[in-house]
Amino acid sequence: MFFITYLRRELRRRMRQAIFIALGLALGIGLVVTVTAASAGVRRAQSDVLKSLYGVGTDITITGKAPKPRLPGSGFAKGGQTFEVGPGGAQVCTKGKCRDAAGQRIDHLDGGSYSPISQSEVAAVARLKHVKAAAGGLALSDTSITIPTNFGQPGGSLPTPNSFSVQGVDTSQLSLGPLSAGTLTAGRSLNGADAAADVAVVDSGYAKSNKLKVGSTVKIVGHRFTVIGVVAQPQGGSPPQVYIPLARAQALGKAAGKSLKNDVNTIYVGATSAADIPAVQAEIKRLLPGDTVTSASSLASEVTGSLSSTARLANDLGRWLSIVVLIAAFAVASLLTMAAVTRRVREFGTLKALGWRSRQIIAQVLGESLALGIVGGAAGVGLGFAGAAIINAVAPPLSASIANSTGQQIVAAGPGGPGGPQNFAPTATHTVAVPMSASVTAAALVAAVVLAVVGGLLAGSLASWRIARLRPADALARVA
Amino acid sequence: MYRLNDVTKLYAKGRQTVPGVRDVTLAIEDGQWLAVQGRTGHGKSTLLSLLGGLDRPTSGTIEFDGQDLALLREGPVTRLRARSIGFIFQTFNLVPTLSAAENVEAALIPLRTGAAERHRRVNAALESVGLADRARHLPGEMSGGQQQRTAIARALVKEPTVLLADEPTGNLDEDTRDEIINLLEKLWRERGLTLVLVTHDTAIAQRAQRVGVMNEGLLTVRPADRAG
Repeated sequence: MFFITYLRRELRRRMRQAIFIALGLALGIGLVVTVTAASAGVRRAQSDVLKSLYGVGTDITITGKAPKPRLPGSGFAKGGQTFEVGPGGAQVCTKGKCRDAAGQRIDHLDGGSYSPISQSEVAAVARLKHVKAAAGGLALSDTSITIPTNFGQPGGSLPTPNSFSVQGVDTSQLSLGPLSAGTLTAGRSLNGADAAADVAVVDSGYAKSNKLKVGSTVKIVGHRFTVIGVVAQPQGGSPPQVYIPLARAQALGKAAGKSLKNDVNTIYVGATSAADIPAVQAEIKRLLPGDTVTSASSLASEVTGSLSSTARLANDLGRWLSIVVLIAAFAVASLLTMAAVTRRVREFGTLKALGWRSRQIIAQVLGESLALGIVGGAAGVGLGFAGAAIINAVAPPLSASIANSTGQQIVAAGPGGPGGPQNFAPTATHTVAVPMSASVTAAALVAAVVLAVVGGLLAGSLASWRIARLRPADALARVA
Repeated sequence: MYRLNDVTKLYAKGRQTVPGVRDVTLAIEDGQWLAVQGRTGHGKSTLLSLLGGLDRPTSGTIEFDGQDLALLREGPVTRLRARSIGFIFQTFNLVPTLSAAENVEAALIPLRTGAAERHRRVNAALESVGLADRARHLPGEMSGGQQQRTAIARALVKEPTVLLADEPTGNLDEDTRDEIINLLEKLWRERGLTLVLVTHDTAIAQRAQRVGVMNEGLLTVRPADRAG
C-alpha cells in the first residue's frame, strides 16, 4: 500500500513529464499496433485474393504450359477462325477459307493461355502419395466480335470484342477449384447430375452487370445455357464469370483450333495436410515436368499491384518506422526517468540513510516506470484502434494483379504486319479489386502489452543502475 | 557502544587527496550525548556519516556494539541502520510528496513491520513530537519547526538506540531552535538514546555531556561546561 501511495504521489508530482513519457510510449506502441493491424488486413486481403484465384481447399494448381505465341506469317491455326485485314480488305477466315468480313460474327471459346493436359493425368495426380483429391478444370474465354457492315469504309466503325470467362467445373469434385470459394446467393450450384447439361452458375458481379438471374440464359459459342445459380466470390475479386460442367466446356472449347475433348488445362489438387504440400508439389513436377505447378505460397509471391505495394509498405517501411519511433520513445523515456532520478538523489540518499535497501528503491523507480509504460501501452492500444479506423476510413481499395490468362485470343492482321495474323490480346493480367480492412488482432494487443512492459522497464533500468551505485554519504553531501 | 580507533577518511579531489577526518580515536558510551562543533568543511558531517555507516573509513576501525562497521558488507550495515540508527538532517530531508505520517512510516518499511503496527507506531511517534493533528499534511504545508519535528518522529519511530543529528536547528529561527533542542533533550532523557549532535551553536553544544571540536579533521573531546 505504501509502495502504491508513494508511486502515485510521485507520478502526480511530475505529471507533465509523466504525460510526456507516456505519450511518447503511446505513439510508438500505437504505431506498432496500427502497422500490425494494417499488415493483418493486407495479409487477409492477400489470402482472400488467393482464395478467389485458387479456391478454398485447393493447395496446389497445375496449369498447362503457355502455348508459343503465334508469329506473324505463321499461318492459320487448324480449325481456327480469324479476322484479317489485308490488301483485299477485311476478311473472316475459317480453315483457310476466307470471305468478306462485313456484318460477320466471330465467336471463340478458347483456352489459349494454357496448353491442354490430358484428363487421364488428373487421375494420375490423384493417385500420388499425400494427395487427398484432384479435380480437372478448363479455364476458357468466350470472345465474340461482330464486324460492322461499314468496316473498312471511310468513316466506318471499328469492331468491338465482347469477352467473358468460362470455367469448366468437374461436377464430381466440387470441393476444389474456384467455384468452391464462392457463396451461393441464388439458386443452386452445379452437381453430379449436371455433368452433361447446358446449365451454368454465374458470378454475382457478372449477373448484375448483365441483368442475369436464375432461369436466364447465357450464350456460349452459340449454345444457350440456363442459369441455375448465382455465386459471390470473396473480396469482390475477379473470378470466372460463368461456370459450366467440365464435359460441356470440353465439348465446346478449343485450344489453338483443336478440340479440348478429354482435355483440361488446370488441375486443382488438395493435399492431405499443409506439411505435405512441398512434397506433393515435387512429385507433381516429376510426373508433369512440362506443366506449371504453383502452391498458394508461390502464387502469393506473384501477386503484384497496389495490394503487393501496400504489403511491402506495411511490412518494410511500417515495421522500420515503428522500430525507429519505439527506440526514440524508449530513449526519451529513459533520459527523462534518469533526469527525474538525478533530481531525487537527495530523496534516495535519505531513504538509504533510513535503512532502505537499494533494491527497494529500485523497485520503487521501476514501478513508476512500469506504471508509465502501462498507461502508455493502454493509450497506444487506443491510438492503434484509431489508426486502424483511419486506415479503414481513408484507404482506397487495393488492387492485386497476377499474370493470368483470360483465354482471349483475338488474331488480327495489323498495320505493322500485313499478310500475317497478330496477337491482339493474347493474354491478360488478372486484376482483383480488394477492399482493405485493418483490424487490431489479439497478437497486436499482446505485442502492445509486451512493449509497454519492456518500455517501462527499459526507461527505469538506466536509472536503477544509477541508484544501485549511489552512495548515501555522497547523496546526502549534495544536500549540505 | 561506539569505539573509534585511528579512524581516517580521505577524499580524492582531482589528483589530490584531502582528509575528511584524521586519526580519530573516540569512545561513546550508551546513552551519552556528544556534541560536535567545528568550522564548515572540517569533518563534522564526515564523522557523522562514518558513525551512521553511510560511509566507510579509509583506515581505522569503527566498532558499534562489537561489530566493525568498516568491515561489514553493505547489507548488514543497511540492516543495522534500519534497526538501530536514526538520522536528523539540517534540511529535514522529508519526501515532499508524502504526508507527515507517510514520511514517518517510510522509516518502518525496511523493518517489514505489518500495516496495523506501522499505523500504531506512526501515530505514537507523531504524538510524541506534538504533531498528531498534522499527520495528513504534506511537508510543504508545514512550518520549518513542524517539518523538523516530523523528521525527529521519523528518526525515532523505529526506536533506535542511536540518534545522529546533523545541525538539526541550522535552518530554524531562534524560538523554534529552542523548541527542537528541548524536544531532543527530552527524548534523549526519556529513551536513553545515544545522541551525537553536530552544531555550530555553542549554547546548544553546552547542553551535551561532552563536546568534541573538529579542526582540519582532528577531533578534540572535552566534557561540556553544562549550565544545568
